[in-house]
Amino acid sequence: MTPKLLERSRLDDLVSILSNDYQVFGPVARKADVSFQEVSSAEMLDLNYTTTTLPPKKFFHLRETLLEYREGEFNAPELDLERSILLFGVHPCDLNAILRMDRLLSKEFVDLYYLRRRENSAIVALNCTEVGENCFCASLGTGPAIDKGFDLLLTDLGDSYLVEVGTLRGQRMIEDLNLEDASQADLRKKEELLEAARAKFKKSIRMEGLAEVAAESPDHEVWTLIGESGGLAGCFPCLSCGNCSLVCPTCYCYEVADIPDITLRAGVRRRELDSCQLLEYAKVAMGHNFRPDRKSRVRHWMTCKFGGAGGGLESSCVGCGRCIHSCPAHIDLTEVAKALWGE
Amino acid sequence: MPRKAVIREITEETHDTKTFTFDFIDSGPRGLEFVAGQFAMISILGYGEAAISIASDPDDRSGLDLTVREVGAVTGALFRLREGDEVGIRGPYGNGWPLTQAEGKRLLLISGGCGCGTLRPVILSHKNNPRRFRYVEVLHGARTPGDVIYRKDYEETWRDIPDTRVLLSVDKVPAGETWSHSVGVVTTLFDEMETEPEGSIVLMCGPEIMMKFSVLGLLKRGFSPDQIFCSMERRMRCGVGLCGHCQLGSKYVCRDGPVFSYAELEKLPDHIVRGG
Repeated sequence: MTPKLLERSRLDDLVSILSNDYQVFGPVARKADVSFQEVSSAEMLDLNYTTTTLPPKKFFHLRETLLEYREGEFNAPELDLERSILLFGVHPCDLNAILRMDRLLSKEFVDLYYLRRRENSAIVALNCTEVGENCFCASLGTGPAIDKGFDLLLTDLGDSYLVEVGTLRGQRMIEDLNLEDASQADLRKKEELLEAARAKFKKSIRMEGLAEVAAESPDHEVWTLIGESGGLAGCFPCLSCGNCSLVCPTCYCYEVADIPDITLRAGVRRRELDSCQLLEYAKVAMGHNFRPDRKSRVRHWMTCKFGGAGGGLESSCVGCGRCIHSCPAHIDLTEVAKALWGE
Repeated sequence: MPRKAVIREITEETHDTKTFTFDFIDSGPRGLEFVAGQFAMISILGYGEAAISIASDPDDRSGLDLTVREVGAVTGALFRLREGDEVGIRGPYGNGWPLTQAEGKRLLLISGGCGCGTLRPVILSHKNNPRRFRYVEVLHGARTPGDVIYRKDYEETWRDIPDTRVLLSVDKVPAGETWSHSVGVVTTLFDEMETEPEGSIVLMCGPEIMMKFSVLGLLKRGFSPDQIFCSMERRMRCGVGLCGHCQLGSKYVCRDGPVFSYAELEKLPDHIVRGG
């Protein structure tokens, strides 16, 4: 389908049409950050945002009730998904992360909860014409533009948005708006803007082969620097706070726990996102811990983000820069990569 | 989803270890189809799940044996249950021992502490299929005579299986206890061991420090890294390669293991079996 043009002033018409069929979530500016929140009008959206604190994974893979039990009987509760959700204004890095998680959680064993939530969702993506100070997606090919995984894709051309359609569902979303076709000049402008964005990145990473380098360098000095002593590009040693995992769009590890109610005769078994940076993550009975020190934990996380852990490339970095922004010790993944490459 | 199972029998192995025999009571078969070396997730409502090696005879699907040491919340709760009580079990999970590769060969089984639960299916399979393996030599170590699980089986039944040799060792013998076998860590049995590297496969399970020294001893005796197999323990939550906890570098212990050849382990981080 030919790309369309949506005048900026008509953005609210689009949001209002989408709200008929979906619960719409988009980037909303708060006091100190931008967050995906429910929106009812275009006015609420901050589409000039560079990054949100939490990635969209919070809608699909945050916590889940796996089992309900009562008096020795148990059953898996049906997911109660009242309305389909629509994520509006998802950036390419985050959408790439969602696509990776789709693959990661539907391999040999399929995560039905995750898939069910994903199937119940639609995505209006937004190419990046502005670049955040910690962004480095361009060096990973995961941004600033994307060509898959969306129902609709917007690019901010100034006075209007270029609207590209990815699915039949996306086509229906804009049917009633009677948008005019975009011209060749509009398409050229999109490419020019994205090219200009690519030139704005301050950070980059050399990822190809990095997983192997990391796996072959378990005793590299960089792990001591970020895990014990600090000092890599001015960083402090890791605090094991787990922020990096929480904000990472490809971190998927979860913990499972039984939570009894006050009668102790009934309760739920729940899962919740976990972090390999937390002390308890690799702890087993009798107090033994397979990754007792910060160095081995942060090494594991970094290796995972380089594609060298159990999740392979599906849990590797998409270059959103959130871990850099959220790290209280100022540990920078791109600096870790540089050190491993000997740069 | 776990399947419902009822405790048919509880056998006391030692002061802190019991073997539970379960029957599934849902519409499915009473036992599980599994291969030796796989594990199951046992579920006690209100406490959670724990990964436990399957200790039954793989050819016997009439029930399921799990040998459990009381060490944590779930196993503690299990120990408070009695025969007839219900639990949840799901599985089997993991790859299991490379027994197809081991057929017709000499098997050397090295276990420490509770680690012999996962090797019991191998011994039982050998007992019931006399020509499956050429020879099985079992080296088992424990802290004290009172910590030797399956002691009666080792001393009376398994010792007498044709083409089988059982060597036992304990670290120390407290005053007042009797012990007619070796004293010392399990590697002290290497001097008595008959298995030669040629045409043999080593299966090993126990604390990583024990496996580390056992591997070192075997390498010194000419065994190669690809004929030594270790069963690894990790925190497990899902058992199916999703939750992330059991990762050893690029591998999931639950999905790619729990059995790894030492040749594989040598390349993986975050364990101490790889000896210096």
